[in-house]
Amino acid sequence: MKNYPLWKIFIVFILLSLGIIFAIPSLLYKEDTGNWYLDNRLNLGLDLQGGSYLLLEVQTDVLIKEEFENFSDTLRVISRENRVKINNIEKNDEELKVRFDSVDKLNIIKDDFLKKYRSVSFRISNNVAIISINEIYKKSIQDGAIKQSLEIVRKRIDESGTKEPLIQRSGSNRILLQLPGVKDPERIKDLLGKTAKLNFHMVDDDDTKSLSLNIAPFGRMIVSDINNPDLKYLLEKKSRVGGENLIDAYASFDPTEGHAVSFRFDTTGAQKFGKATSENIGKRFAVVLDGVVITAPVINSAITGGSGIITGNFTSQEATDLAVLLRAGALPAPLEIVEERSVGPGLGADSIAAGKIAAIIGMVLVCIFMILIYGSFGLIANVSLIANLFIIIALLGTIGATLTLPGIAGIVLTIGMAVDANVLIFERIKEENIKNKKIYETIKKGFDRALSTILDANITTLIASLLLFIFGSGPIKGFSITLSLGVIASMFTALMLTNLLVHVYISFTSKKELNL
Amino acid sequence: MFGLNKIIPVDSDYKFLNHRKKFYIASGIAILLSLILLFFKGLNLGIDFKGGTLIEVSTKNTTIGELRDILSPNFNEVSLQEFGNENTIIIRLQNENNQESIKTVNKVKQIINDKVEEFRRSEFVGPTISSELLWKGFQAVSFALFAILIYIWLRFEWQFGFGAVVALTHDVLFTLGVLSILNVEFSLSTIAAVLTIAGYSINDTVVIFDRVRENLRKYKKLELLDLFNLSINNTLSRTVMTSITTLLALLSLYIFGGEVIKPFALTMIIGVLIGTYSSIFIAVPTLLVFKFRPQEEDEN
Repeated sequence: MKNYPLWKIFIVFILLSLGIIFAIPSLLYKEDTGNWYLDNRLNLGLDLQGGSYLLLEVQTDVLIKEEFENFSDTLRVISRENRVKINNIEKNDEELKVRFDSVDKLNIIKDDFLKKYRSVSFRISNNVAIISINEIYKKSIQDGAIKQSLEIVRKRIDESGTKEPLIQRSGSNRILLQLPGVKDPERIKDLLGKTAKLNFHMVDDDDTKSLSLNIAPFGRMIVSDINNPDLKYLLEKKSRVGGENLIDAYASFDPTEGHAVSFRFDTTGAQKFGKATSENIGKRFAVVLDGVVITAPVINSAITGGSGIITGNFTSQEATDLAVLLRAGALPAPLEIVEERSVGPGLGADSIAAGKIAAIIGMVLVCIFMILIYGSFGLIANVSLIANLFIIIALLGTIGATLTLPGIAGIVLTIGMAVDANVLIFERIKEENIKNKKIYETIKKGFDRALSTILDANITTLIASLLLFIFGSGPIKGFSITLSLGVIASMFTALMLTNLLVHVYISFTSKKELNL
Repeated sequence: MFGLNKIIPVDSDYKFLNHRKKFYIASGIAILLSLILLFFKGLNLGIDFKGGTLIEVSTKNTTIGELRDILSPNFNEVSLQEFGNENTIIIRLQNENNQESIKTVNKVKQIINDKVEEFRRSEFVGPTISSELLWKGFQAVSFALFAILIYIWLRFEWQFGFGAVVALTHDVLFTLGVLSILNVEFSLSTIAAVLTIAGYSINDTVVIFDRVRENLRKYKKLELLDLFNLSINNTLSRTVMTSITTLLALLSLYIFGGEVIKPFALTMIIGVLIGTYSSIFIAVPTLLVFKFRPQEEDEN
């Protein structure tokens, strides 16, 4: 074949073979095989294989509030030690204003306070102490909370039996979850929606007056029952032992109480629990989960073995889930679901089927049209188009990209747009054909002239596509990836493969004239 | 082979620009109407941008009316719509407050469980997310227009950049106007379609501009008006061919691609038509505002 350099033929051949070889796993295999070559498949997005996408927001402002709560509790203790009375405490989101009875010992109180909380600002004006925290302090609280939340979310999801979950931090206070194949997203949402803060508090049954007035004295708190919100308990505010000392929890069955959760404390937890129960025989202790009392049994004897059982009218699923939550540990702050997208397997399969049909029909239509208009040259363009598809699929597979429904749309669109480069070239050749007599010169000029136009035109499409990638979310990113790869692949196939095929065609038919 | 390649002759000679005033007026009216529509009627925002809950179900032994009667008393604002066929129904619910919304899906599932074959899809978008998505979409479109302007400015002269952006803005507004009339749901994928239209339209425009630039070098004496007409005619068959192949692919996507992708395909079809029109009738005539040749300035 004359007038076509050997090295170009070589490159076309290599790239094309690679395209076909690496498209095969995606086209023919559906499951992972563990083989390095066959696992170069494109992954299906959640919208195609079914599953749940969840975006969770860690409610860190709750933590800031809690921190201020701690400040005011600490101040009460310190001022009591120093025998200074507190007149009133004002709280808002930004600061804590504490009005003292006298100014005498304010500086001592300040020093004592700052020993405990170093990086807190403590200002005194007259008899008022103003306590506030700076952004760095806030951020460190938030950061800690998110890291811890991530870990706990991961544990809970793992315990729930979800396969191949993707769990990652997103932005400053969000957690992104992708859970392929989840059939019951409601259960997962339930698991994530609970803070699961477990604490054991002693019940104060003596102070019936406070309970009836519904005002908790200092060091006490009033908590309602899980099953009956009108039933209230007066509890010691300080918990005797908490969920952080649990080392195991599992669903069990109690012959008299039904489904239950059995748990075991670590050594410290067992000691604390043993001490609390031995000192309070005959009294009640309450098991408090996320601010409600689950159960409040009477202590009949000291529990020193470090294990126990929680009952409370659970269903079997509730007991299992509670055990999962207790094993995974408590979230530092509540999580709010701010976005959810769940697709069932039926819709996913339908989308794939529809996408395939649309792609095939689109392809056939474009191919027929190209042959109608350009004849043999149209056939060449069609070969390039098919090669183009193989290359896109191979690229998607080897970079491990995820194919989404908009991604399929991108491929179908690419089918329509990919012939553009070919069209540009053919139209140029047509024009040159009128002026030139020598067939190879005509073709060479046609390709050369079309080159800069092809580049300019495609780069603008790539710009739009890149911005989609930057600003788009999950499925849209999939669209921009397939569109970009399609544009790049179409430039290669048009400039290299079509070029080669045109030369092959001319030398094969030994044409002297073009009937384009 | 089939001779159809002669449909649009290489040496076509249509005087597109001589009628440019008519097209200015037509486009001007279209843009004005679009703006009025966007301002007063607005777009049919989907849950991506409005927030809320969407549940797609396939039903058994029931009608949309029956489902509506079951759901309406339980929720403040609930709307039901058939989706492709009468057994597939989309249920849309407004955000009440966040905590409740998470439970909404569960509540719906419990209430209509025995009427449903399969829960095909459920989506929930909270109010903070929906406004974020809207803002991001707006940013994406603006940055894309800006980046394209810069690229054209670098590759051509700034006058071409101006022409391209006028045409692009025209395409985006016009397309949005048509979406508003047709009440097509505006979602994240519609934004993707609008951006792709921008890419496509500019692609079309650039091909013609490329030829204008080439002809400016080639025909130093030719009147600008004639030169622009010539450039459009030179590239006309390509413009038409590519539009047709793209439309063929999009049509196939619209008809066979499934319900979810329909708004995307429809938006693209509208945009490709408008983009092709604007490349010829808006982008190129805009160049007439400028003077490209130093000697003309001398004469003036």
